[in-house]
Amino acid sequence: MSSSDMIRIENLVKRYQDLVALDHLTLSIQEGEIFGLLGPNGSGKTTAINCMLALLKYDKGSITVFGRNMQPDSYDIKKQIGVVMQNVAVFEQMSVQENIDYFCGLYIRDKAKRQSLVEEAIAFTGLTDYRKMRPKKLSGGLLRRLNIACGIVHKPRLIIMDEPTVAVDPQSRNKILEGIVELNRQGSTIIYTSHYMDEVEQICSRIAIIDHGRVLATGTTEELKQMIKTGETITIEAIELDDTLLAAVRGLPHVFDLTYEDRILKIRLSTARHNLVRILNFLKEHDISFGRVFSELPTLNDVFLEITGKELRD
Amino acid sequence: MTVFKGFLLITKRNIHMMFLYIAIFLTIAIAAQKMTGGNQSGFKQESLNIAVIDRDGGKLARGLADYLAQYHTLVDLPDDPSVIQDRMFYREVYYIVTIPEDFEDRCLYGDELLPVTKVPGSNSGFYVDQQINTFLNDVRVMAASGFSLADAVAEVIDNSKDTAQVTMLDKNGFGGEQPLHAVMFQFIPYILISILCYSLGAIMIAFHNPDVKRRMMCSAIPVRRQNHQLVLGYILVGIIVWIICTLMPFLLYGKDFVNDPNMPYYLLNSFLMTLVSLSLAFLVSTLISRDELISAVVNVISLGMSFLCGVFVDLDILGKGVRTFAQFLPVYWYELANNLLAGNQSLSRAQTVSLLTDYGMQLLFAAAILGVALVISRNRRTA
Repeated sequence: MSSSDMIRIENLVKRYQDLVALDHLTLSIQEGEIFGLLGPNGSGKTTAINCMLALLKYDKGSITVFGRNMQPDSYDIKKQIGVVMQNVAVFEQMSVQENIDYFCGLYIRDKAKRQSLVEEAIAFTGLTDYRKMRPKKLSGGLLRRLNIACGIVHKPRLIIMDEPTVAVDPQSRNKILEGIVELNRQGSTIIYTSHYMDEVEQICSRIAIIDHGRVLATGTTEELKQMIKTGETITIEAIELDDTLLAAVRGLPHVFDLTYEDRILKIRLSTARHNLVRILNFLKEHDISFGRVFSELPTLNDVFLEITGKELRD
Repeated sequence: MTVFKGFLLITKRNIHMMFLYIAIFLTIAIAAQKMTGGNQSGFKQESLNIAVIDRDGGKLARGLADYLAQYHTLVDLPDDPSVIQDRMFYREVYYIVTIPEDFEDRCLYGDELLPVTKVPGSNSGFYVDQQINTFLNDVRVMAASGFSLADAVAEVIDNSKDTAQVTMLDKNGFGGEQPLHAVMFQFIPYILISILCYSLGAIMIAFHNPDVKRRMMCSAIPVRRQNHQLVLGYILVGIIVWIICTLMPFLLYGKDFVNDPNMPYYLLNSFLMTLVSLSLAFLVSTLISRDELISAVVNVISLGMSFLCGVFVDLDILGKGVRTFAQFLPVYWYELANNLLAGNQSLSRAQTVSLLTDYGMQLLFAAAILGVALVISRNRRTA
């Protein structure tokens, strides 16, 4: 951990009676990062965020934000944080503009400044045409954008986004992700939780994989991928193999796992040169016919699978 | 004051509901006055539709019919039991006197009672019984004093034309009648509870939304200050609704109301009811988390209390059991105070104590309801 950490969480423990939600969680997030918190449902992501925001009391450990201890009455710190909740948190009775203005008012007193910030947030989230509408009339994607606008309108130094793209169509999701990257480019540090690995891989500069309230691995996407054994996955379709041949494939250099189902062979190999050539030569030597062949580099899903032993969507 | 302004903005969005309730209230209050106001124009002797079936045809029988005709409306009816039954069933006639043959001998000099048919349980029937007895007794006395039967009958009828002058005791400065503004104040609890519980309930449900609450707790405004602003909003809305409600008696019955020496007490009574309604509104918003439920719950509370505590039906008419139960509801104490003010222009010492007790009970109810709501709210927060 360095002294330039924007957030430092050390040995955080949070229990709900017998359930340990956070088990000595330790994390540090630096200024300028888009930090991804990746974990399945119930892994402790939201609990960790609630503790960071001092919305929840924890049993053990410490949290410092901007170098200061975070407490429920740390309003100077809270002033510099924007929160985008997992659920849309707006007033049904107010229009888009009124909602954004209201939540901006919780941070900014000056009316003129607030007006200009609200206009910026409306433009940034593409809600200009919908400013007079009530949330009930907005589509799911627009609602999410309104939710984001309410969280970022006061231009916070740190933005915490708890699964902001849940139940959003792909087009709106892309728009939201582009917006997040833009916010980061404008100087905000972002903590982003999700169980969509492609999103995290796409926008996060550093990622922590959490499960059972513990950090299992931290690093950039590349660093995480290097932590696992899988260097490459080769998939071969429409192939007929008997047990002898399967055993032979399993015995090839760098192969450490394979599955064969519905005439599809998936071979997981450790990082090495010419893996694909070696496999294709083997098939040629044994005169085995096959359909499409493709090779994939490891994804975060592979990382997660190997580290936690389960799919992220479990 | 962002939270306060937000509170008022959401109130503005619910204003149509407030006006709807005010319209309902005005309609009920004015309709009630129209219905009761006409009958309250001083003392008026009871008059019924009655029938006299004369099987005797003598002087005494005709005299009795003439005597009763002075007080009541005589309806022609054939001497047919099925027709009598029908007319009575449809309340076209309330009392039927059948004068038997030899009426004079059997009823005046003998002990036989006149056969009468009347609507069961009718109080007015008893009144006609008394008039018949009076007539027969008077004729009997006159005849015994030496008058001929014809003279005795004529004399009794003549004497009965002298009517007593009845003056109502004017305890309240409105000729003993319930003043119209008192009728309006009788209905005010319904409107106060309905409007405040509905509008404030809807607003607080919006603020109690867990996600909105979380977002607000993350903000730079301390939670305590946010709550203060919400309380301020509550009080402001309460005062505005109270002013609107109390403005109506001023607008509709200006002079009468302004000149009523009890005016400040009426206003104080309704203000205390506003406090009770605000507490109820807070309790409702604590218990309910969905908009759709508000209307149902508010109707149960406002209509339930109104029917049980004498808002729609006078307390005097309500059964003893209902009144005993109503004592556990705040509106009962409001109505007691309102009745006291409506019936008395100046209050005796005992009445003043009674009025203060009614006020105190409302305050206690407001505090108790608020206390329960705060406990529930705290338990929910820590659960």
